[in-house]
Parts: sequence; structure tokens; C-alpha cells
Amino acid sequence: MSWRQRWFPNGEWVLLVVLAGEILFFSAVAPGFFTLGNFFEMTRFSVELGLLAVALTPVIVAGGIDLSVGSMMGLAAVSFGAGYHAWHLALPLAAACAVLVGCAGGALNALLIAKLELPALIVTLGTFSLFRGVAEGMTQGAVNYTGFPSSFLFLGQGYLGGVIPTQLPVFGLIVAAYVVLLHRSVIGRALYAIGFTAQGARYAAIPVARRIGLVYLLSGLVASIAAIIYIAHLGQARSDAGTGYELDAITAVVLGGTSVFGGRGTIWGTLLGLFALAVLQTGLHGARSVAEKELQVKNSQVAVLCGAILAGSLIVAGTNVWLLRAVGAGSRGSDGHPSPAAPRRTVIAVMPKAKGDPYFVSCRAGAEEAARELDVDLVWDGPTSLDAAKQNELVENWITRKVDAIAVAVENRAGISTVLRKARERGIHVLTWDADAEPDARDFFVNQATAEGIANALTGEASRLLGGKGEFAIITGALSAANQNEWIAFIKKRLEDTHVGLKLVTIRPSDDDRDKAFAETQTLLKVYPSVKLMMAISAPAVPGSAEAVRQAGRKDVSVIGLSLPNINKPYVHDGVVQTVVLWNTRDLGYLAVYASALVTGNKLAPGARALQAGRLGQIEVRNREIILGAPMLFNRSNIDRFDF
Amino acid sequence: MVKTHRREMSVASAITALALVLAVAAPGYFSGENLGDLFMASLPVLLVAIGMTLVVVTGEIDISVGSTFAICGVAAGILSKSGVPVWLASAAACLLGAVFGSLNGALVAYLGIPSIVVTLATMTALRDGLRWATEGAWVQDLPPAFQWLGLTQTEFPFVAAIVTVMLTSAFAWGLGHVAAGRAIYATGSNPRAARLAGLNTSAVKWMVFTVLGALTGLAAVLNAVRFNQIPSNAGIGLEMKVIASVVVGGASVAGGTGRVMGTVLGVVLLAAVGPALTFLGVSAYWERAIQGGIILVAIAAEGIRHPAYRRLASAAASARAQA
Repeated sequence: MSWRQRWFPNGEWVLLVVLAGEILFFSAVAPGFFTLGNFFEMTRFSVELGLLAVALTPVIVAGGIDLSVGSMMGLAAVSFGAGYHAWHLALPLAAACAVLVGCAGGALNALLIAKLELPALIVTLGTFSLFRGVAEGMTQGAVNYTGFPSSFLFLGQGYLGGVIPTQLPVFGLIVAAYVVLLHRSVIGRALYAIGFTAQGARYAAIPVARRIGLVYLLSGLVASIAAIIYIAHLGQARSDAGTGYELDAITAVVLGGTSVFGGRGTIWGTLLGLFALAVLQTGLHGARSVAEKELQVKNSQVAVLCGAILAGSLIVAGTNVWLLRAVGAGSRGSDGHPSPAAPRRTVIAVMPKAKGDPYFVSCRAGAEEAARELDVDLVWDGPTSLDAAKQNELVENWITRKVDAIAVAVENRAGISTVLRKARERGIHVLTWDADAEPDARDFFVNQATAEGIANALTGEASRLLGGKGEFAIITGALSAANQNEWIAFIKKRLEDTHVGLKLVTIRPSDDDRDKAFAETQTLLKVYPSVKLMMAISAPAVPGSAEAVRQAGRKDVSVIGLSLPNINKPYVHDGVVQTVVLWNTRDLGYLAVYASALVTGNKLAPGARALQAGRLGQIEVRNREIILGAPMLFNRSNIDRFDF
Repeated sequence: MVKTHRREMSVASAITALALVLAVAAPGYFSGENLGDLFMASLPVLLVAIGMTLVVVTGEIDISVGSTFAICGVAAGILSKSGVPVWLASAAACLLGAVFGSLNGALVAYLGIPSIVVTLATMTALRDGLRWATEGAWVQDLPPAFQWLGLTQTEFPFVAAIVTVMLTSAFAWGLGHVAAGRAIYATGSNPRAARLAGLNTSAVKWMVFTVLGALTGLAAVLNAVRFNQIPSNAGIGLEMKVIASVVVGGASVAGGTGRVMGTVLGVVLLAAVGPALTFLGVSAYWERAIQGGIILVAIAAEGIRHPAYRRLASAAASARAQA
């Protein structure tokens, strides 16, 4: 057997080439990419995902699959948080509790798959919902456990000897254990045999059920360890921890040459797949910001480049034959992408919560307007969908690139504060907008409207439309969405204090999906015929809810909510939607960039009481919060004046 | 029948049990209006799931259907906005879906790349492509004839139902009784043997992906015309719902087994549970846990005849006897 077959039985060396190519490419394109610090940050962000991927490798080698690992992270995280805060357990006991839950979940999968011989895909699809659902049920979607001692947070945020992220040795240990298990033990050989043919393995006297049960048990266990590291990393335990991680982990495993049909795959292949993806993502963010800043190209060109590289590396995973083409795609990309050389200008990096969201798209228009007016460079980048971990990753990226100011629309308060403090230590001005971080982690917060202000505006409108008395229902975004839960809390408080005649009968999720809001409203109208008002507090939910009310012909039901004017115009004119509450998003983006520029130019001191923000005129500053103004009410009389 | 259709029986009994509970606790669930709404809401999942059954039976999978769904809906909207008659725009959207499907199919069948890898790439590429093209904006100001395909709100569900029932029965019957249908089973259960028996297995795989794409396009159109504007982020997570329905309905992802009837039952079970829980007054926060539990129970019922299950049951019985 040649050394190549011995070490890379599934052509993993291809990934090494891709990885090296990626590193070379991004080092040339993105400044500050090829540094030790950046390397360690990248590994830090990959640890949780890496743990899941490593645990999934033997599962997939044995011909199975485990879709429940991401949900198990959520359940273990909530168990840990509840153990520490609600049941007042000591930290090690709380951790033991989380691990126990992980083992129990793994054992449930093992029982159903190995003992009852049910298909792994369906069983783990079921537990995927079950685990996440129990976590949501336990916390009612809203409880967010924070305030863990700093000695614990050191596990996820600290550095050993000042350089090595603390979680890295833990990751190394578990990887080593898995290498021994899969590649150096009798059990490992048995797993390959089972993956090739379970029947054959049985005839060869391998205890198939026990071996399969073991890998599912272990994957539950490792998922709970990943959850503990995740909590230490982000500083919070919520039921949505690890959402979508199962797909990313499976991608890394499959990219690493493991066959989804079992019998083939290695741990180092998985690690290579993991790092190939991590480097690609980190690098692309760097490259994209460079492209937008200095080359003045539109997103689309970078997108084509990214697509070419991504497609190339994915094809590599499929079959070795496609190696040359993929590498070709990588190098073709670099030809069309000259390295930049431009004089130093002020760079303001602004991050939305999610790039594709129409709300933030309209903020961007204002941000670009301010950047043109002030003649500064604007870097606009963020996660494609709500993703707290990705936000941290991007800020790290910007610290490495040494931008002048960072303005973040914060998704996860506790999680991002650590990295924002780090940015301030490096002399970068930090602002938050749309949603705040910890006050000591930023210079200023551009506050569009307080949660209380929004809640009061919504309940006020509801009370006015219902005549002070009646039943209403809320359609929210995702059940665990932090912003919405804060508004709901203030709405409930307001109902108790002021509007006692109003009764909130139920809260239903829409998952920010228009069609789901539509279906939920249809059901609600039938189950609660006495509900006379729908309050939809997620942008796509308002038109969804309105269409359901219109199609049901229920002229006695009003719809109000928090949304964007454009998508609600038809319903406002038809009289189905009475009021849409929002602030001027364009002004918000404008103000965020304007304030960032003022802070960078030292024209806005921490004690300031007001600032002059270009076309917005005088803006009030209160206790390091820049107040955009009260929320606006859009209705039939004024909605046509706005276009976003 | 019981022996050969064990999964269908198991899922059907879960549906029956749910229906019995509802009949007692919330009879309003069975009102014609509610059942009609439920049907319209699960129509996209049903149509895509039928196509997905074919793909899964050949031993492949397609996780790009959610992205295809979004693009086809937006395409139908943009076309009819630019003056194309709505039926032509709908046909074009189905065709576009078929093109995307055949692209996936060609990469899988003729280049031998694993379908999960191919469709993962097209899922991301199509979704991001749409995001860049629309910048998150919805398609608005559609011509009045777009909603309900120019029919009325009461007529449209009947037309959609007729189309769906015809397509479903055609696929259910054809998969078992037409040569092309048998070829799909042959390809999935043993590709090599099928090839040696003279079947063009690559063509079969390419064809099922194309059919899935076309059905996805049709589902997107039938869903889009229920509204007067089209969101650019439709269909996120559709692939999960569809695959869940297909596998709960008894198709094996290893290929070779699975029936359209089972898929229909899987779609019914998964689509009926959510609103049922609302009718029963269950808090939204526990809904997902209960849904997961119902899936597990529905498929675990199939294992009742398994020796290990009997051991568990007898252990539980003796524990009860002691207590």
C-alpha cells in the first residue's frame, strides 16, 4: 500500500491542496489574513462545529446519520443554564447535568436505531424536533441564561499563555480520542465493517447493535460538551443554541471524503473539510470587504468568485476526477482580482443583523448616503441570516483588518460584548445600532426606538382600535427571537398597568415566513372567533396575517404590527391593516454612519448632549445613547410618502 | 396488505388516533373551511414531496427544492408583471423549475457527483443568487389577474385540488404499473443489476430530478397565486418538511423502496399536527417537542412486531405488575 493510499484513502489530499490554495489566495487578497492571531481566532470559531463533525464521522462511517446534534446542543445548553441558575447547582454539577442530558438523548437515539432497528434518518429527524422543542418548552423560548462566572467564560473566551484559545486543547483531546476509537481500535474496524455491510458484519460476529448504539450515545455526549463550550464562548445559554449546526457539520464530514453510504471516511478528512470551509468563510469576508472598499465593485462580482470557489471545492469532495477543474476555478478567480493598493481613507464597518432582510437593505441605503456625503469608505457586511456566532467572527475579522470604526446591529448582547471590548482595546471606535451590546463594550448606541416605546405604541394602537376592551393575538417571529420577546414582555406589562380591558389570548410563531404567518392566522381566526385584532410583530408576518384576514372575509378583525411600509401598502389602502409601527430605517442607517464618522474624527465626546447629523439636523444624545426619535405610525394618510 | 404496507398502516393509525382526539376535543377542526385551508397550506409540500419520492426511490436526494421554489415563484411574478399572460408565466416557471432540476440531475447522473453535494451547492448558489438579484425586495404590484390565476377565491381551490389529485393518482399508479416507474425502483434497489438488465440508469436519475424540478415550479406557482405579492425568501426549510414527509411515509433514503401513497400519508400527518395542537389549545412553546414525539411514535409503532420491542413491553408490564 503506498503512503498516499495509507494516509488519504479517500483522496483527502485534494483538500490539502484546496486548503493551501485558499490560504495563499486570501493571504494575497485580504490584509491581516495570514497571521497567527487570525489562525487561532478561526480555530476558536470552528471548535463547536468541529466537535459535532468529529462525532458525526463514525456515525456516518457506520452507515447512519444523526440530525439531532444541533438540537441536542440547544437542549444541553438550556439544561446547563437551568441547572446553574434555576436549580442553583455548582458549575461542575450543572455541566454534569448537561452531559447527562446529552447522554440520555444519545441513548434515546441509540435505543430506537440500534435496538428497534428503525431508520436513523427518521429517528433523528424526530429527536431533532423533540430536543429543540423540549428546550423551547422549558424556557418558553424567552429565557436567556447569562451571568456566568468569568472563570467559566475563560473556557470559551480566554487564552492559554496569552495566545492559544482555551477550548483548543479540549478539542484536541476529543479529536485524539476519536482518532484512537475510529482508526486504532477494534471498535473502529467494526464500524467500517458495519458501514460496508451490516449483515456481513453480523456474520463476522460483530455485535452490530451495540457498536451502532455506542456511536449515537457518543454523539449525544459530544454535542453536550459542544454546548458547554458554546455557552462559555458566547456567554449565554438559550434554546436556539446550535441551530443549523447539524447541516454545517455534515457538510464538513462529507467534504472530508466520508461516504454518506458508510464504510469510508477518516477523522483527519473531516478536520480538513472543516478547515477548508472555515478558511473559505473567513477569507471571503476579508476579501469581500476589500473588494467593496477599494475596487468599488458590486457584490455580484465577488459573488461569482465565491460561487466558483465554493462549487469547485464541493465538487472536489464528490470525486477526485474533478480536482484539476476545482483548482482551476480557484486560480481563474484570482486572475480577475488584482490586489488593491489605495491611499488610506477612513473606513467605517457597519454590520446589520442579516444582510438579505429588507429592513436592513433599506438601512443600507441611508448608510451609503451618509458615506457619500462624508466621503468615507463604508464596509457593509453581516451574516446572511440571524447568526450570533457569525457576527463575532466578522468583528474579529475587522479587528484584524484595522478598520477605524465598527457599528454593529447586535444579535446577541452578551456574546458580542467581549469581542467589541477587544476592538476598543485595539483603538477601534465601537458603536452599536438597532440593538445594543453591554454599555461598557461600546462608545455610543444609536437607539432607533426603545423596546418600551415600541410596545407602548403597539398597545396604544390596539387599545384605540378595540375601543379599550377586547381580545387580541400576537404573531411573533421565531419563538426565541430576543427582540420580539422583549417587546412581548413590555406589551404584557403595559396590559397589566394601563390597558386592563385588553386580553392577549395567545402568541403564535411565524418564523419570519409570510406563508406561515398566513396559515397561523387562518387557524387562529377559527379557534378564537372572539379575537378582533391581530398584532404581528415580525416584518413578513403583517402582510401574511392581513391576507388571511382578508381571504376569510373577516371585516371585524383589524391587523396592526411592526413591519416595512412597502409590503403593507396594498393592505393599508384596503383597510385590512390599520397601522404599521416603525421608525425611518433609512434615517437609522444614515445616523449610524454619521455618528461613527463623528466619533472617529473625535467630534463627538462621551459627555455630549446633542450632535448635528447632516440632513437630520440636531439629534439628542442621552447617556451615550443617540436617540433617533419616537417610533413612527404609518397609516393610510402617510404610508405612500415612504419607499422602503 | 398489513405486512407489505406496514409503514403506511402505522402512519395511518397515528392519523386516525389524532383525528379521534380532535373529534372529541375540538370538532371545529373538521369544518369544511378548516380542511380546505389545511389542504391549500400543505399543497406545496405535497406536490414537491411526490417528486421527492421518485428521487429518494432512486437512492438520491435533493435539498435544493426550497431555493428552486423561491426562484420559480419570483420568476412567475416578474414575468406576469411585465405583461406576459398569467398562464404563460406559470408554465414558464414550471419550465424554469424543470431546468434547475435537470441541471442537478445531469450533475448527479452523468458526472457521478453525490446528489447531496450537488444539491447542497445549488441550494446555496440559487438562494444567494436570488438574494443578490432582488436585494430582499418582494415582487409587488402584480396584475389583478395574477391572484387566483384569474379565477375567484372560491373557484381556485377546486382547480388546485383537481390538478393535485390527478397528479397524485397518476404518479401513485404509474410508479407501480408503468415501465418507467418500475425502472425507478430497479435503479434504486440495485443500479448495477438494473444497468446489466439493459436499463439506462443515468437517464432514469436525470429524469426524476427533472420531474421534481417541474413539480417544484408548479408548487411555487400554485402557492404564489394565493397572494398578491411574492416574497423573495419563500421556501426556506421546505426541503426539510418535504424530506421528513417522504421518509415518515416509508421511503428509504437508501433507495428502492417507497410509495406515493405513503408520502401522501406522511404529508397529511405532518401538516395536520401543527394546527391540531392550536385547536387543542397547546402552547406554541411546546409544539415542536410534541411534533417530534408524534413522529417518533408514528414510526416506532412499526417496530411493534420487533423482538426487542416485545422485550421492552414485557419488561414494562412486569414493572407495572410489581408496582
